[in-house]
Amino acid sequence: MTLQTERRPQTGSETEIDLTPQLDSAWITIVWNDPVNLMSYVSWVFRSYFGFSRAEADRRMLDVHNEGRAVVASGVREEMERHVQAMHGYGLWATLEKSGS
Amino acid sequence: MIGFERLDSENFTVGFEQNEAALLGHLAAQVADMLGEKLSEDGVDIASDAAVARLLPDAYTDDTAAAAEFRRFTATDLVDQKVLNARRVAEDVQAAARVLEVEALDPLMVQIDAAGIQAWVRCLTDIRLVLATRLGIETDDDTGRSNDESEMLVGVYGWLGDLQESLVSALDDLP
Repeated sequence: MTLQTERRPQTGSETEIDLTPQLDSAWITIVWNDPVNLMSYVSWVFRSYFGFSRAEADRRMLDVHNEGRAVVASGVREEMERHVQAMHGYGLWATLEKSGS
Repeated sequence: MIGFERLDSENFTVGFEQNEAALLGHLAAQVADMLGEKLSEDGVDIASDAAVARLLPDAYTDDTAAAAEFRRFTATDLVDQKVLNARRVAEDVQAAARVLEVEALDPLMVQIDAAGIQAWVRCLTDIRLVLATRLGIETDDDTGRSNDESEMLVGVYGWLGDLQESLVSALDDLP
């Protein structure tokens, strides 16, 4: 048992608290452009699987089409692997990688 | 082809000329057989066929060991599901062809339920991915190799694209 004594947080500018996830949990799922899948289909997959709004799904679909790739999810590695497996089930070309790599 | 129509929240129809229905059933059965042959107790053989490799792409671009591990855990399930999807399409088409009162020139009307439509949309994608690999389609503007042999395949590939577009449109057509 411990006695809780009153402590005041150190709030000086030199003691910044970092609550961002550890690097190990920061993974991203990427969908890559391919010459086969229809733009309407990719948008539909993003809406039906990730639950994106039509505007959000279309924006990411256009990123795939114009930029060659789009990040569609981020989180822990196991979750990103599930997303990638689901995308492969839909016939989309998806990969995962560490965020910022 | 009479494009996909959503009848209500769960049910869809699509109509085919009889030669179109035979073609689609044949393609779906081929994809199911092709994938089934790649399955063994050791997993899925992706090395011997570029089309299979496209259906099961590397999950990691920069880590071959992680990509192999991912495939070891997922490929069998993915292939099983793709085979089931393709068999479902072939069966739905065959069921429509068995309707007795169909005259020789009538379109075949295929009835598809909620689970079936999910199989159809994925299977049409898989068939197009396989055809695109066979045709060497590698960029957005690519129409594929052109020689006498591939000319018919290019036509089929385009037709399947129209079919898929019609299916996605029907899925988006909320009841």
